[in-house]
Amino acid sequence: MKKVSLSPTIISIIPAIAIIPVISTLLNGLHNGGVQLLFKFFLASLQPSFESAVIQSALRGIQITIAIALISWATSIIGGLLLGLISSKIFWKSVANSEYNAIIIKRLLAIPRSIHELIWGLLLLQFFGINPWIAILAIFIPYSAILARVFADQLDNLDHSKFFAVKQVGVQTGSAFLSVLFPPMIPIISSYGGYRLECALRGATILGIFGMGGIGTEIQLTFQSLEFRELWTSLWILAAVTFSLERLINIWRKQLSKNNNQPRQIITFGFASFLLTLISFFWLEKLDIHLFQGWELHGLPLPTFFDLVIAFQELNWINLIGNTIVVTLLAAGIAIGIPPLLMMLWPTNFGLFCQSITWSFLRLIPPPLSALLLLLCTSPNICVASLALGLQNLGVMGRLLKEGIESQNNDQHIAIYSSGTSNNMAWLYGNFTPQSKSYLAYGAYRTDVILRETAIVGVVGGAGLGWQLQESLSSFDWPQVVLITAAYAALTLIGEAISAKSSQNLVKSRQTTK
Amino acid sequence: MKKLLQLKGVYVYGKNYPRLSNINLTIKIGEKVALLGKSGAGKSTLVAVSNGSLKPATGEVIWNGIPLNKRTHRQRREIATLWQDLRLVEELSVDQNINIGELSRHSFLWAFGNLLGVIQSKTCLESLEATGLSREFIKEPIQILSGGQRQRVAVARLLNQQADLLIADEPLSNLDPVLTYDILQLLLNKKALKMIKVPETSIISLHRPELIVNFTRVIGLKNGELVLDCLTKDLKSKHVENIYED
Amino acid sequence: MIRRTRRYFLSLFLFANLAFSQKVSLAQETLFIGAIPDQNPEKLNRLYKLLSSELSQKLNVPVKYLPVTNYSATVSAFRTGSLDLVWFGGLTGVQARIQKPGAKVIAQRDIDPKFHSLFISNTNTGIPTIKNESELKVLKGKRLTFGSESSTSGRLMPQYFLQKAGLKMVDFKGKQPGFSGSHDATLALVQSGSYEVGALNEQVWKSNVKKGKVNLNKVKIIWKTPPYADYHWLIQPNLDIKFEKGFTEKLTKTLLGLNQNIPNQKKILDLFGAKKFIPAHARQYKKIEIIGRQLGKIK
Repeated sequence: MKKVSLSPTIISIIPAIAIIPVISTLLNGLHNGGVQLLFKFFLASLQPSFESAVIQSALRGIQITIAIALISWATSIIGGLLLGLISSKIFWKSVANSEYNAIIIKRLLAIPRSIHELIWGLLLLQFFGINPWIAILAIFIPYSAILARVFADQLDNLDHSKFFAVKQVGVQTGSAFLSVLFPPMIPIISSYGGYRLECALRGATILGIFGMGGIGTEIQLTFQSLEFRELWTSLWILAAVTFSLERLINIWRKQLSKNNNQPRQIITFGFASFLLTLISFFWLEKLDIHLFQGWELHGLPLPTFFDLVIAFQELNWINLIGNTIVVTLLAAGIAIGIPPLLMMLWPTNFGLFCQSITWSFLRLIPPPLSALLLLLCTSPNICVASLALGLQNLGVMGRLLKEGIESQNNDQHIAIYSSGTSNNMAWLYGNFTPQSKSYLAYGAYRTDVILRETAIVGVVGGAGLGWQLQESLSSFDWPQVVLITAAYAALTLIGEAISAKSSQNLVKSRQTTK
Repeated sequence: MKKLLQLKGVYVYGKNYPRLSNINLTIKIGEKVALLGKSGAGKSTLVAVSNGSLKPATGEVIWNGIPLNKRTHRQRREIATLWQDLRLVEELSVDQNINIGELSRHSFLWAFGNLLGVIQSKTCLESLEATGLSREFIKEPIQILSGGQRQRVAVARLLNQQADLLIADEPLSNLDPVLTYDILQLLLNKKALKMIKVPETSIISLHRPELIVNFTRVIGLKNGELVLDCLTKDLKSKHVENIYED
Repeated sequence: MIRRTRRYFLSLFLFANLAFSQKVSLAQETLFIGAIPDQNPEKLNRLYKLLSSELSQKLNVPVKYLPVTNYSATVSAFRTGSLDLVWFGGLTGVQARIQKPGAKVIAQRDIDPKFHSLFISNTNTGIPTIKNESELKVLKGKRLTFGSESSTSGRLMPQYFLQKAGLKMVDFKGKQPGFSGSHDATLALVQSGSYEVGALNEQVWKSNVKKGKVNLNKVKIIWKTPPYADYHWLIQPNLDIKFEKGFTEKLTKTLLGLNQNIPNQKKILDLFGAKKFIPAHARQYKKIEIIGRQLGKIK
């Protein structure tokens, strides 16, 4: 019997199957009761509110968001680089001749990574009260931990022979890292780092729980009151800002790829971001948000072991965890599988353009909002949550894939296409296949993010850890909160172990088939 | 003559068979050693053991009277290696790569400066010129260079290290005849350079027996064993044939 | 070049010093106010200046409104002392008082002592109007949604009455009720038919009917709960020390004195959907606390 070998190309597309159960369940519950409201929502996109109070408030909001996003973005990239370095195997191999520390640190970093910034915000709020620094810290913690994972993985995947060759001749470890391992990281820092700016802009939504306002607060509040025209005012402003920042970064990246001295470029860019961050401090000060204020620590009685045991017995873990896993897997399937599938089916320039617009749109809509919109025309169940989470993350994956493909040369596609293959297959083999491995790696990171985000789609009444976490937080039941966040961390760790194992197997099976 | 490098009873094991078995070898200052052997005979392993990047399973390697792996940072600089895959940093420019050769003599700040492209080293320029590569290339990224040009950059980086012993792993494969001659002259220190100290002693592994006239001593490996070790002037053609026959 | 950068940094540093020293010289304790994001929070967020300048004028201290967008974050911000005066719901107010002993209930709206929740249903479901509590049993097996988890009128009291009628949370379709997130969303979801039944704040229903946002052919009231005390203003215990003696009383009087006949004050009262504020007392919320404990929202 012929053994089927699974290439990364196929593994990337197969998850798209998740869309079938999700869509069929949703169609099953489809009704037209909410069509009117849904129509109103989309109509409102064409006629956002121009009331001066709304615009003024949104403009103030976007300034706060940009300033905080810049600060948290810059700090989390630096934090991510440092944490990435100390959680990489190559670092510990070269300073201590052992990889164990790297593994321990990497596992520990799963905890900050597995908890959504909103939850971090709420937890930190308990101890420090309202303080803009805490808002920044709440974004910084999970973001730098995510970046650390990406950077550490990429650092460990580099060819280390050059590094050891240089160390071999007596070069100090620091200099060797800087000269040999840093340069090949530059494209990764610039692409993944650039994309994190958009995340930081969207992530700054959590400023709302610190009473700092921002565009996210506008979006959340107007959406909560179903004031769609006012909602679109903020959404469009956010879209415009995101789009222009993206353009700027793209222009810079094009410049970077043309430039002969990439390290100098990126260090200059780092310096520029540092200045921007400094400027943001003053900007916030002008906006009446005072970063430099006193710290005060407020105690919170720690739950005892006995409390934890009781809390453990109160919750239906199998149900909670099971639901969370199903939602995460379905959403991840949609997010990972659909972009390459669609791009394969419609790889013309116009098609790719349309898809790219759709993805930007999907990224703009926060999952709780899309969940509510979906709920308006179908009956509630966990598929709503999966689709809502899946759609936004699909936008992210599509973007990463498009950028990856654009940054590689088109020669393979031309070679395959010129041999008479259809455009679709030429895209699959020539454009996607060279990208598929890194795409899958990004897919694994995204699954992490989706798991965290299940904490914020409570609206669908599905069970799941996310909803329970919100419920426990709103009851101030700290033992339950502790246990649920621990469950999130455990799931993240298991997910990481599985993805590491399967990528190993993938490499192995490729080698044996050779 | 002073003993520079000594290998005593060196064994290295591969998966199924020993990659090096019982190698005893002494290299003295000023020797130019050609290392012959078929693919898989253990040449690369011997190179790796000699420069310290591979620790033998048994036996010892002595450098200037001390064990190879006990050298200080300063002493590590004394052995330079030209790797088969060159190991250039693709993302950096020609001068930045050549500067990496002298990195062990400088601080972290200097390394940072090199990354920014603000370091101008005289020895870097001389190394580049010694290899015959035009100055025009100095700011070009490695990625756009041809195979021969890369080889020269790697040699320039190696010269810029200013080591005592040069070890090269098949530096001449894939080179055209003119270039082969040029590079070999450089590696064997037959060209005088002003500022740069070129290693007096070298071990160079080769595929092409016709080049051994340039060396003072020839050693040959077969299935991981040292089967030939003699001065070039004493070499008989049957020695070489023995190495290459099955 | 190095010298130039150094000078640059120096000037930046000086600029920073200037910016912050200015703030220090103006240092005076600020009254921080907030509200749970319950009804029209976006309007409050835009119009808070009305309230803060009114209070600032009357109390002669700087007033700052912090738009906190999460119920439990508002409670926590009150506990840590980041907010001095907060507009709470029944449940969140009790939670805040338990976490911050000594906090005082000072005022509520004229409608708050006898507040009601409504159960509404989609007309297609044919659920009959309910005459008394025990008839709530007909909702068994229906798809039901509450508003926000921490809402008194959108969750706590409706859940309490359902439980009193013998309905457990697993008795609804999907083994669990939904949480739409807000009163407006509850209304929209029941009107669309995604949920058959919903529970919400009576006042939100009324204002939506007034604005013409409710299609009475599609959604109707099936039951109005008995009255209970809901929203109120809560203040920190230490304000007399933080500001001056008698500050708490002055603040209470200012709130109670807001008058519909003065245009600016009317705008503020409208923002809260009130005709006027009246005195309120902690004892009015004893029942909420008991129910909160019963339903596990207060530990």
